Amino acid sequence: MTDRHCKRIFAMLSEYLDDQLPVKNCRELERHLKGCRPCIAFLESLKTTVEACRGYKAPRAPAPSKEVKAALLAAIQRSHRSQ
Amino acid sequence: MNSQVEQALASLKSGNPEDVELALETLQGVVYSFGMKVCGVREDAEDTAQETLIRLARQLKDFPDARALAVWLYKVAKTQCLMSRRKSKFAPAQMLSLDALMPKESGAAAPAVKSWEVTPEEILLNKELRSKLKDAVLALPKHYRLVLILRDMEQLDTREVAEVMGISEETTKMRLHRARVFLRNALAGYVRRAEMPKVRAHD
Repeated sequence: MTDRHCKRIFAMLSEYLDDQLPVKNCRELERHLKGCRPCIAFLESLKTTVEACRGYKAPRAPAPSKEVKAALLAAIQRSHRSQ
Repeated sequence: MNSQVEQALASLKSGNPEDVELALETLQGVVYSFGMKVCGVREDAEDTAQETLIRLARQLKDFPDARALAVWLYKVAKTQCLMSRRKSKFAPAQMLSLDALMPKESGAAAPAVKSWEVTPEEILLNKELRSKLKDAVLALPKHYRLVLILRDMEQLDTREVAEVMGISEETTKMRLHRARVFLRNALAGYVRRAEMPKVRAHD
């Protein structure tokens, strides 16, 4: 992935994966991919990375504190009274 | 994500204490999870959730829809994360250059790139790779990290991310691409080096 065209294509890969690449650039990218194995491989690995991020889950949240619960309930009651 | 927030918003508007409690748990889950991904520290994520939800209570107003509430929540949570007292966990602000991130493999070295044969599921199920992914996210400079988390983990659309970050959609896309490549490169070393053990779904 060192030639100029690869460099240009490299900058477009995320937009391509997100279906946000303009049609003209999309055609150019797909034409390039047909003949460039390193770019195909890089695109695949980028796609895998993005999909892993989409599936990543943080640990479960603890229950909200009493302070937060009380503040929110009070605010909601106030807003209902004022309506 | 918006369907969760949508349901929570409807429950908040109902004023029914039981529904409000459920809504609060949902929103706590959303904000805490975001805080964990951004800060990487449980205490900071808890503070972020607490401060954000207290602000929600103080400034409770009629959000026109779930999207508006979601953008508001992430905006406030993002600010809380950036102000968290364990600032040292944030990598120093720096720019990621696309040239520097671009792999130099070509010709004979190209097949090495092909050795990336791990699936997204394998990354998530393999403890070591999952932890590398988490570490790589935390190693991203904060403005790239926030964009990546909002877009790829919280799954907001480009416009929503731009709104939360207060930047243009073009800048959002640019930061997202660099952040993705940074992560991909960070994982690549492990994917290539390690003999990927076959993992079972319940591991």
